[in-house]
Amino acid sequence: MNKKIAILAGLMGSLVATAAHAFPDRPIQIVVPYAAGGSTDLSMRLLAESLQRHIPDSTVIIRNQPGGGGAIGTSAVVHARPDGYTLGSGAQGPLALLPHLGSTDYTLDQVDFIGLVSRSLQVMVACKDAPFTDFDSFMAYAKTKAPQIGNSGAGGANHISTEAFAKAAGIKVESVPFGGASEAVAACAGGHIDAMVVSPAEALPQVQAGAVRPIFVEEDKRIDLFPDTPTAKEKGVDFTWSSWKGLFAPKGIPAADLKVLRDGIKAAYDDAEFQKKMTDMGEFLQFEDADAFAKRAEKDSVTAEAVIKDLGMYQMNKK
Amino acid sequence: MEYFSYLLPLLQFKVLWAIGLGTLGGIVIGALPGLTATMGVALLIPMTFGMAPIMGLNMLIGIYIGGIYGGCISAILLRTPGTPASAATVLDGYPMARKGEAGKALGMATIASAIGTLFASIVLATLAPQLATVALKFGAPEYFALSLFGLTIIASLSGDLLKGAIAGCLGVLISCVGADPISGVLRYTFGVSGFASGFSFTPALIGLFALSEVFTQLENLGRSDVATGKVSGRWPTGKDMRDSANALVRGSIIGTIIGIIPGTGSGTASWIAYNEARRSSKTPHLFGTGHAPGVAATESANNAVCAGALIPMLALGIPGDVVTAVLMGGLMIQGLAPGPMLFQTRPDVIVGIFGGTFVATIFMFIFGMALIPLASKILLVPRRILTMSIVVFCFIGSFAINLNPVDLYTMVGFGILGWGMQKFGFSQAALCIALILGPLAEANLRRGLLQTGDDLLAFVSGPITLLFLALSLLSLALPFIQARRARRAATA
Repeated sequence: MNKKIAILAGLMGSLVATAAHAFPDRPIQIVVPYAAGGSTDLSMRLLAESLQRHIPDSTVIIRNQPGGGGAIGTSAVVHARPDGYTLGSGAQGPLALLPHLGSTDYTLDQVDFIGLVSRSLQVMVACKDAPFTDFDSFMAYAKTKAPQIGNSGAGGANHISTEAFAKAAGIKVESVPFGGASEAVAACAGGHIDAMVVSPAEALPQVQAGAVRPIFVEEDKRIDLFPDTPTAKEKGVDFTWSSWKGLFAPKGIPAADLKVLRDGIKAAYDDAEFQKKMTDMGEFLQFEDADAFAKRAEKDSVTAEAVIKDLGMYQMNKK
Repeated sequence: MEYFSYLLPLLQFKVLWAIGLGTLGGIVIGALPGLTATMGVALLIPMTFGMAPIMGLNMLIGIYIGGIYGGCISAILLRTPGTPASAATVLDGYPMARKGEAGKALGMATIASAIGTLFASIVLATLAPQLATVALKFGAPEYFALSLFGLTIIASLSGDLLKGAIAGCLGVLISCVGADPISGVLRYTFGVSGFASGFSFTPALIGLFALSEVFTQLENLGRSDVATGKVSGRWPTGKDMRDSANALVRGSIIGTIIGIIPGTGSGTASWIAYNEARRSSKTPHLFGTGHAPGVAATESANNAVCAGALIPMLALGIPGDVVTAVLMGGLMIQGLAPGPMLFQTRPDVIVGIFGGTFVATIFMFIFGMALIPLASKILLVPRRILTMSIVVFCFIGSFAINLNPVDLYTMVGFGILGWGMQKFGFSQAALCIALILGPLAEANLRRGLLQTGDDLLAFVSGPITLLFLALSLLSLALPFIQARRARRAATA
């Protein structure tokens, strides 16, 4: 009996002792709301590796919690204890879009942003045998008939952004949802749809093979990978869209610990090895601090809300 | 000659070591329910960052090939498909183990897996660019016809046609839970956010096959508590091999073709191969009772998918299944975007991968054969202890896959369902097939209708569509024709 009490006391003592240590004194978990192996997952693994090098004495691990288009993992982070040990991979779909569909138990207001490390750029491509080959012929065709544009999932970022473009350009499109980006790319290369939106890195091999043609870039400026492809902006459609790769946390983390994390992500971003690997993978590196990231998220959320209302999908999954 | 020089890096000790380690790791990952080949590859991609492409990628391919093979170990010994690819192996593998032929079942599975992968690897190395275009021919109507053909398997597999149909319909209904594939509306989730993606497939399979068997054994616990005891030798007899030749050929070809078609995978391939082997067999009644050709068909098919799925991935940059999609991420990190250009710019990588699949297959065969006596010792554990350990693994495996507690309810629910089905003679295989193909059929039917403006004619035109529709009709009519012929023979 005495022995048990002694062990118990010892254990409790060790708890007190660790609590006195500086943050972080145990592993930090980054929840990726998608299955392992996708581009978000791989970027986060690179970021975790770099964070570990730049936050002293830290261990950063990745936890994959897929499902519900990212809502399940994101919800787990929003409702986690705000102690800085559970962070989330800040993805556009689950944070800026899904709350408007009513399928989440959280909203964008419930999170604190830590920082953004890269963006996934978007290129609209004309698929094999499409009745258009560039921006002008695309717009001309769209005036007569709604082009069938594939996306990686109904209500996902890919779907909503295409509809947002159609709204900005004043055209009608027919969105064709697929079960993931690679299914849509297969249908596009096979000529079963007219167009789709992909990341430049995914588009490049297909463009080189002559299966698809880039129509326009959803950025402010032309991009290095496709220097001859115009932006929507220079063609007179005020539309940009990209998705995010960054970190967020549940609201309420002690200010000092939050600062450790925010400084940490900046240092991790500046790491040369991190930058090289991200670039090799085709990611577009760009750092934004917590405030800028929060503004970006807010802006995308407002754009998405309007489009989702137009589509009649607003709060459709509300319990 | 130049091409052979690209194979030389494969002979370096460190590369062989990496492939061997990957394959062995894959077998272990595959054998553990809840750890799938997809997860294994995904989790090890970061390890390959610093490796040369030939070494890193072939290690991942080793994990893939080992992982899909490894699933058969637990499927045969414990009725627990280690990965969804091995669900069909349960049908004949487990009864073989119960008959005291566990060693032979595993041996047959290992030989079949090796033959399937080798066949598909040869196709990959010789015909990849020509065959890859098949992947591009599949639009919504073609996928719908393919899944319809797959669903007709239920008619011939389930024995009692009515009960089979009921089980199949139940499976299709169950697969409606979750987000609607076209509109994104959540269906039948009853406000539980964990069901937003529907019932997770792996936990459902673990419940359906493994937990249900635990319940059945608990019922019989008092009556027969004898360990199977006998595990037999690992080499199938010459007669077994002769009987299985037909199944091996069909399994390898079907697996390779299904591998090339994106969006389908080893699960679909093994069921179709099983059915084809049974249909063309002289002794179809032996299937399901512990018949070696049943194991040969499913295992050759699911492993042929591995190399088959690499064909469109390497030749077109379009992954043939989920694992190759993850593998493509591994290639991109190396700055190698797969596609026709890669054949011209980096033939060394392409030829290295071709060679790597052969090396990984050889390792898989050696490790598999060496592990059989060790693995089958598990059957010497007294039944009641083994059964309870399986329960623990059912729970760990179901939770590990997505870390979603709702998956545990799914697993238990499907366990009870599977036990009930077994007790009242409903086919669990029929339910499993419907769970795989129901969503494929629905999504493509509705996508096709959306694209053609509700024109049903598109679903009965085009050569591939018509081929699969004809096969479906044939597969439905065949049992009746055979029965009639048998009657006529009896009266004559």
